[in-house]
Formats: sequence, structure tokens, C-alpha cells
Amino acid sequence: MSLKAIEEYASECLARRDSGQWSDADQASLNDWLRASTAHRVAYLRLEAAWAEAGRLKALGAGLTLDQVPPPGALRDNPFLKSAQVNTALPLIAPKTPRRVPYALAASIALCAVGAIAWRFYAPHSSSYETIVGGLEGIPLSDGSHVTLNSDSEVQVAVTPRERGVELNHGEAFFEVAKDPTRPFVVKAGHARVIAVGTQFSVRREGDQVDVVVIEGHVRVERDNQSSGAPPALLAPGDIARSDGQGVLVQEKPLSEAEAILSWRSGFLVFHDTPLKEAVAQFNRYNTRKIVIEDSKVANLKIDGNFKSTNSEAFVRLIESGLPIRAEHQDGHIILRGE
Amino acid sequence: MEEDLDRWFIREIVAHEAALMRYLSRCWSDHTEIHDIRQECYIRVYEAAAKSRPVSAKSFLFQTARHLMVDHLRRRRVVSIESVEDLDALNVSVDELSPERRLSGVQELWHLSYAFDQLPAKCREVVWMRKVQGLSQRDVGTKLHIAETTVEKHMARGIRLLAKFLFDEERATERTSAKDTGAASAPELKDTGLEHES
Repeated sequence: MSLKAIEEYASECLARRDSGQWSDADQASLNDWLRASTAHRVAYLRLEAAWAEAGRLKALGAGLTLDQVPPPGALRDNPFLKSAQVNTALPLIAPKTPRRVPYALAASIALCAVGAIAWRFYAPHSSSYETIVGGLEGIPLSDGSHVTLNSDSEVQVAVTPRERGVELNHGEAFFEVAKDPTRPFVVKAGHARVIAVGTQFSVRREGDQVDVVVIEGHVRVERDNQSSGAPPALLAPGDIARSDGQGVLVQEKPLSEAEAILSWRSGFLVFHDTPLKEAVAQFNRYNTRKIVIEDSKVANLKIDGNFKSTNSEAFVRLIESGLPIRAEHQDGHIILRGE
Repeated sequence: MEEDLDRWFIREIVAHEAALMRYLSRCWSDHTEIHDIRQECYIRVYEAAAKSRPVSAKSFLFQTARHLMVDHLRRRRVVSIESVEDLDALNVSVDELSPERRLSGVQELWHLSYAFDQLPAKCREVVWMRKVQGLSQRDVGTKLHIAETTVEKHMARGIRLLAKFLFDEERATERTSAKDTGAASAPELKDTGLEHES
């Protein structure tokens, strides 16, 4: 019997027991049912306690016209409760510390920020951002766009009144591009150029290989050198493109899959029937202590689940407990072998 | 004796349901399963307490929840962690999860009125008429122009939802004051779960 069915039966009994149409035989069969399983008993006790508590609604109704059902919120207007409301609800809203000083501070910081942004807007030079292994950083751009930089990545950003340009030197970044048809947003990654107007997509670069994942709007991927004759590829949400210097391969995936690939933005790795060797390669992007598979037998075991990307130790403990794998810590590496 | 155990169960275990659900939903990301885990947890606690009452009901409840989740993980053949982002997250101190927060009588009533207001309109009417006005099932049916069996259905649903809003939803008073219990794990509990069992 499912929990839902148990709770339905228990609540029906409680409702009927109160109705006056409740015979000794009904009680006897309820008793049998309760004795039959602890699952029945605990569910029943819980609902019974809630129902008993509801008896106190009478106390709340005091002072109200009893032949009407009070409209929502009316019970709390009860003067008796109003005092309680003050006691319980107020501390939740009222800030614990006076806010005036931090506000002033925030205001002056904001002014500085406006100054800095204005300056950067007109400044011709670009700014560079970098993350270490395991790092994850959000970079707000002056045009309202936002860049999320994944582990071990580096970008150079130049936002001018005419163009918004980002150069991905290595690693991976996710872009939420503010709409601005007059200023295309161009990401250069090796030989590939990814061009957007207002959209959300990620670019990952490993040497010559560039992967682009789009989850909103459209982007265009073209070769740096237009004379090569390769036509640009137009990507829609859910599309995953891989460019390797020769051409662009586009795969259409369900949007959910594209989003799962981008789960790193929240610090997680999502695996679904993923071979262990691929999962390990992912973890190694985020951790300086590398995991090494020394036994080809285990390399293709399948992994499922969500993991914190920077906690490879927890990941290793979990696969040890669930798969026939032994882990050994050696010279800053974690070695995986079959059992 | 059995009567006693039932009362103990409501007072010492169900009373922590909101904190328990917070704990479960934090550790177990497949939220469709956490009601079943809660139920399983209640069963284990109740059966253990029938033999002998734990010294600290609250710690026993959360320990049981943690063991249950670890068991669930182990039973799956693939490492279908499905959900638990990190077993470390299971190791948190009980006080952090559920600081003693006995509500005063007035606060309890306030919470009750909140739970009552969450009911769907028909449920709410039926519950009020039966429980406060003391009308018979038949009279409620006549007043609302619905069949008696429908009145009974609304009642049953009302009871289930009241339990949900009274126990399992975060208490209105805790909603914002209980900051995310997320971060720090208590050192004294750290890692015991796994080693202990392997």
C-alpha cells in the first residue's frame, strides 16, 4: 500500500469517525488495520494529531459570527492573535542591525561602480579575467550582459560603444547577453567566432576544439577566416556545436540536456549513464588532485547523479561504496582500481 | 503502554517534522521521494521506540533519517546518487537543523490559523462547519448543495492538508528566521555515517 493510499484511508476513517455514522464494527476494522502495520499506525497518528489540533479553531472563532465561515485572513484579525502576530512575525521582517550606515556605504560603492563602468565603457582597452582550478566566477559587464567563468578559464573583455567583444583564451564561459541589436556580442575562441545579439550560450575551448551550447535565442558560429568558404552555422536553443578547425558539427538536443551540460554554473556536475572515465575527466577539470583510472575494467562503469564539482573526494567515496572499485591516495593523485 | 507510545510519538517526533523535511529535501534532490523517506523514518523510529525509548528523541530521529538515506544509496546497484549531492551534507548537527523552538500557545494558534487559510475554499468551509460550528455531515451537505459523500471527501482531504501545513511545511514563524542551515557540518558527526557502516 502506497503512502498516498494509506493516508487516504486513514483520513477517510477520521472524517467518518467524526460524522456520527461510525459503528463498533468500523472501529474494530480500523483497529485491525492499525495493528496490521506500523506504516498504517504512524500515518494515522500524524493525521489524527493534526485533526485534534484543528479542534482549536474553535478558540480562534471566538468573537466571530459563528454561522459564517470567516474569509481567509479574518482569523488572524482576532485581537487575541494580533499580539501573537506581532511577537512572531515582526522579528522576521525587522532587520537585526540598523541599516542606515550600510546603506550609505552601499551608495558610495555604487557611485564608484557607476564611475568605473562609465570609464570602462569609453576606455578602449580590455580587461582580463581568470579563474583557478575549481574556481567559478561571475563577471557583470558594462552593457548589462553577464559572464560566468568556469574552472581554469581565462577571458578578455572589451566592451565599446560599437562592439562587445570577448576573447576566450582557454576554458569555458557562459554568456547571458543583454539585448542590443546595434552592438553584436562576439566571442572569439581560437579559430571560431560565436556571434550573438541577445541570448544565453556557453563556449568552451580546449586547444583547437571549441564547443558551443545554446539555451536561449540564436547564435552564429563562423570561422575566423571567412575566406575558407565554410558557411556559418546558425544555432538554436538546445543546439550543441563542436568546431575543430575543419568545420562545425551541430547536434540538436532537448533543451534539458543542453541545460544539464551547463550545470557547472551552479557548481554541479550532472551525470546520466555517463561512463566513469568521462565523469573522472570532468572532475579533473575542477580539482587539482587528479583522479586516475588504472584499471580499464572499471573505466566504462556507468554513473548517474548530481555531484558538487569541487568535491572529488566525496565523489570517490560514493563510487567506492556503490561500485566494485577501490581508491588509493598516492602522491596527490587518487588511483581507482577494480576490486 | 501503547497509548503512551502514541502520544510520545506525536510530541517528540512529529513535532520535528518541518525540520526533518528541510533536512531531507536538502540532502535528497529527488523531492518526489522524500515523503516516502519521512514515512519510512517514522516507521523505524516508532518500532525502535516500542522496544525502548531513545534518550534524545530528536537526535535519534535525525540519525535514523541519515542512516536511511545512506541505506538507500547503497541498495542501488549503480552509483545512482540520483540526488545526494554529497554525503557530507548528511552530517550536520541536530541543533543546527532544529533548534529548540517551542511555540507559545498563542503562536500555535497563529500557526493553526495560517494552516487553515491554506486550505482550498471548499475544504476550508467543510472543516469550519464540521469542526467549529458542529454541523452534521448532512447539514453541511445541504448548506453547500453537495452530496454527503462529497462532504466526507472534503473533510478527509482537509485533514491531510492540515497535517501538511501544520507539521511538514515550515512553521510560519520559522519561515524566514530559520536561515538556511546549509553550510557548516558539525565536526562531531563528520563522516561517522559511512565508516560506521562499512
